[in-house]
Amino acid sequence: MLPFDIATPGTLAEALALLDQYDEEACVFAGGTALVIALRQRMIAPRVVVSIGQLPGLSEITYSEAEGLRIGALARHAQIAASDPVRRHYPVLAQLFGGLANPQVRNQGTVGGNLCYADPATDPPSCLLALGAEVIIAGRMGQRRLPMRAFLVDFFTTALEPGEILAGIHIPPPQPGEHALYRRHLRTPAEHRPLANVALRFVAGPDGHSWKDVRLAIGAAVPVALPMDEAGRALTGRPITLAVAGEAAALVAERLEPISDSRGDAAFRTAVVRAAVRRIVAEAAGLDWTETT
Amino acid sequence: MHREDFGLAGEGEGIPQVNAREKVLGCAVYAGDMRLPRMLHARILRSPHAHARITGVDLTAALALPGVRVAVSGRDVPARAWGLSHKQQHVLARDTVRFVGEEVAALAADTPEIADAALDLIQISYEPLPALLDPADALTTGAPLVHAGSNLADEINIQRGDIDAGFAQADLIHEETYRTHSQYPGYMEPMATVAATDANGRLTVWTSTQSVFLARQRLAEALDRPVSSIRVIQATVGGGFGGKIVEERSSVIAAFLATRTDRPVRLGLTRIEDMLSGCLSVPETIRLRLGMRRDGTITAKEVEILADCGAFAGLAPDILIVSAMRSDNMQRIANIRTRARLVYTNTLPRGAFRGFGGTQMLFALNSHLATMAEKLDLDVFDVHRRNAIGPGDTTVHGWKIGSCALEACLTHVRKAIDWDAKRARPKGTGVLRRGLGVAAAMHVSGNRTIGNWDGATILLKVNEDGRAVILTGESDMGQGAFTMLTQICAKELGIPPAHVTVQAPDTDISPFSIGTLASRVTINAGAAMVKAARQARSQILAAAAEKYSHPEDDLEIADGMVRARGTGNLTVPLPEICRYHIFRHGGEGIIVSASHDPETVRMDAEHRGNIAPGYSFAAQAVEVEVDTETGQVRLIESWLADDCGVAINPLAVHGQSNGAAVQSLGWALYEEPRFEGGQLSNGNLADYTMATADAVPRLHSAIVDSFEPNGPLGAKGASETAILPGAPAIANAVYEAIGLRITDLPITPEKILAGLARAKGARDAAL
Repeated sequence: MLPFDIATPGTLAEALALLDQYDEEACVFAGGTALVIALRQRMIAPRVVVSIGQLPGLSEITYSEAEGLRIGALARHAQIAASDPVRRHYPVLAQLFGGLANPQVRNQGTVGGNLCYADPATDPPSCLLALGAEVIIAGRMGQRRLPMRAFLVDFFTTALEPGEILAGIHIPPPQPGEHALYRRHLRTPAEHRPLANVALRFVAGPDGHSWKDVRLAIGAAVPVALPMDEAGRALTGRPITLAVAGEAAALVAERLEPISDSRGDAAFRTAVVRAAVRRIVAEAAGLDWTETT
Repeated sequence: MHREDFGLAGEGEGIPQVNAREKVLGCAVYAGDMRLPRMLHARILRSPHAHARITGVDLTAALALPGVRVAVSGRDVPARAWGLSHKQQHVLARDTVRFVGEEVAALAADTPEIADAALDLIQISYEPLPALLDPADALTTGAPLVHAGSNLADEINIQRGDIDAGFAQADLIHEETYRTHSQYPGYMEPMATVAATDANGRLTVWTSTQSVFLARQRLAEALDRPVSSIRVIQATVGGGFGGKIVEERSSVIAAFLATRTDRPVRLGLTRIEDMLSGCLSVPETIRLRLGMRRDGTITAKEVEILADCGAFAGLAPDILIVSAMRSDNMQRIANIRTRARLVYTNTLPRGAFRGFGGTQMLFALNSHLATMAEKLDLDVFDVHRRNAIGPGDTTVHGWKIGSCALEACLTHVRKAIDWDAKRARPKGTGVLRRGLGVAAAMHVSGNRTIGNWDGATILLKVNEDGRAVILTGESDMGQGAFTMLTQICAKELGIPPAHVTVQAPDTDISPFSIGTLASRVTINAGAAMVKAARQARSQILAAAAEKYSHPEDDLEIADGMVRARGTGNLTVPLPEICRYHIFRHGGEGIIVSASHDPETVRMDAEHRGNIAPGYSFAAQAVEVEVDTETGQVRLIESWLADDCGVAINPLAVHGQSNGAAVQSLGWALYEEPRFEGGQLSNGNLADYTMATADAVPRLHSAIVDSFEPNGPLGAKGASETAILPGAPAIANAVYEAIGLRITDLPITPEKILAGLARAKGARDAAL
């Protein structure tokens, strides 16, 4: 680790002013779980580390029936998992944040830090995409909102402009009959970073057998989490059978442009994603995916 | 406190480790915890090249940085080379670097931060040389030479009986080539050392080691100074698994830096550094050809091994011998031809690892036996049993088998996992398929290999309060040596285990010992402990007999009292006799020294001879579930039976067995050091994924009933044997689940999916 100064602003405005002042020589420290590793390995060498962990008002989680859920960017993973409104209205998020990485990371890492770091091998983005989340970004000129899919740009790259700080995440209120599931695949039980994950959100149709407003998203296996609209359409308005689940899985697999690296080459990641899609759809429809089609 | 039947029937008492309390309370002092006044912090600079000539070294900028006290390169280190059978290593690389990560320079500074900064200021220039990265290329003409001469580090040829006649008798001949990969020992504590010289230049080294005396011998060679000018003290060791016997290199560098400055030096490795400067296990390619009669009798065994020791031989030649011949002794076979070769490559040095070459060959052999049993429509247990060595046998290589409960191990695991009922169930057709597998194993307890002595000496002091202190040179690296010695001492002296203290090995104080390797400590040091305790007991009883004019042979020590057995009218607290032993004319404190050297021999030039006082056996049966869509293999059940003789501490043996099962699972499924251009690319525990609690179901281990005639109280070694059967048991279970025979480890999801795709392609083509 190379030497740096640490700044501890007391307000969001002060933090933004510091980022403005030091520009590219500054970096933001939230939970630090990824940043400290990057510092120690000298992947980054900032002049000033702006610690925003103590900023007031950025770690609250609030819910209203009209507005939905707002998660402050500095909310820690474990805090989200334990949050009452999250558990009540978005159990899929409680599951995701309660199982993310490992206990140390869950207790220290923040959801904002996770999204801004934009490491593909992580859990939240795909699920937040499927839930239709938006991010709230603070800048010197005020706040702006972006849909999650516009926020995620590339490997370790977001739509955050220099000098901006992610302030929070907004998720619309669940519709009547809305269901959401999330599954991830770890290459080995010792891995804390998913090889692939998939999130599925839909509204059950009045007949109880078909779905509408289906959103399927893939994460971790791809550079940035991706909505799979075509597969979503294939799952809309028809009875879900194992064959339909397989069809959606095939559509996803066909269009997937996965990461290919030492943790898993493209063909392997595609196979895993295909299985994960088939399984999550089958599970959501109450079907037994362990049966071969 | 202890059971009367201890050592005679059943087993000893499963007491917690005597050093458990200090570890769980965080008071144990590991070498990295040591802080000495004026201590410096060392850092190592490593080669970025797999093979290069060092053309220039410039330490001036580093030395000029305030706070840097010493900086050295290969130009400063002694010319004398160190090593085991091959003397070829130096404190730092001198003219040539032979692998990515080889230590080329080192420095020490007032703070770790200054040391880090100074490392960036060292200038080394290299002239890259062609590198040999694949062992398969090592012996081809024109291959780059890792060392002058040849890339062949060692070759073993063994012939027994008549191999051609053996194959002629066979009803089935099966040949296959198996590939095994390296495994990182993965102990919790990365290597750490603190070294300091005194005013007279004498060197003291506190380090994490399995053998203080081997460490001292190596330091004497590497630093080119007399053995007795060095004192090695074993700090608490956070696991070794073979990696801390004598091949790790960082302790040597720390000691050298201390000799070059007048201040103590601390060198604690990060995980990546530990992976680079310890040693990974030896990867082997094994071609196995077996002849078998219709009834399952093995008629001939032909083996060809190509093993890779990386850049330096280290202990790998000794490991090669184990791979080449140990498994032959597990079975009654007569006709053998083996050729085993060890080659150098420009990769990390490979060496000792729990099982010491046994895991590699037993993966091949057990995979082979399962395949042949199926081809001959035989029960695989029957094939093992038909060929199994037994008590009283002398093996094809002259090993004399005292106790052997191999058959009992096999019977136990078969029943425990409910093999027959599970095998009879219908084959699944779904996405998840289950299968069963079994494997058997053998290991030594002791090995007369480091010179013509496999002995152990125990110094025992009984204090004036009747409590005992044990001095030993055998290391407790977490496996329980100190607890074993405590239990034997307590039992033999008739005092509670809490009244016994074991002092950590210290070359100035402890009696000379070989240390913790070859599963030798229980069988050899345990035997010396029995002798020492009995000697002390007779001294105590003689003193009591004198003081009370009572016949000595009627006296005993029990529950801390000296008492008369027959009449029962004499009961004296032990401390009273111990004080009397000192406080009389001509008296002295009770201090005894006892040695035990087993009646074994070194193997002869043809690799014959009974090298160990006892041999341990094990069997493991597992059930796995294979996910045919993701290729993932999950362990569903594991039953391991260990024949370690009488278990002095069953709790400790179960811990060893379960730990071994997890480590073998990691090797079989998850752990694989990956290299890019000779550089380790997954040198951290996030990417080099070991098996964790999440990877295993409840593990079962059993200690089968056996009594080792050459062992202390019937005991022999545990732990190494238990790691041997895991990988082939899993491979056999995967085969039963999906009909895919994996011959190259690890069993990755990619290999499963590729194999399933091949099989499907073949099926489709046949339609």
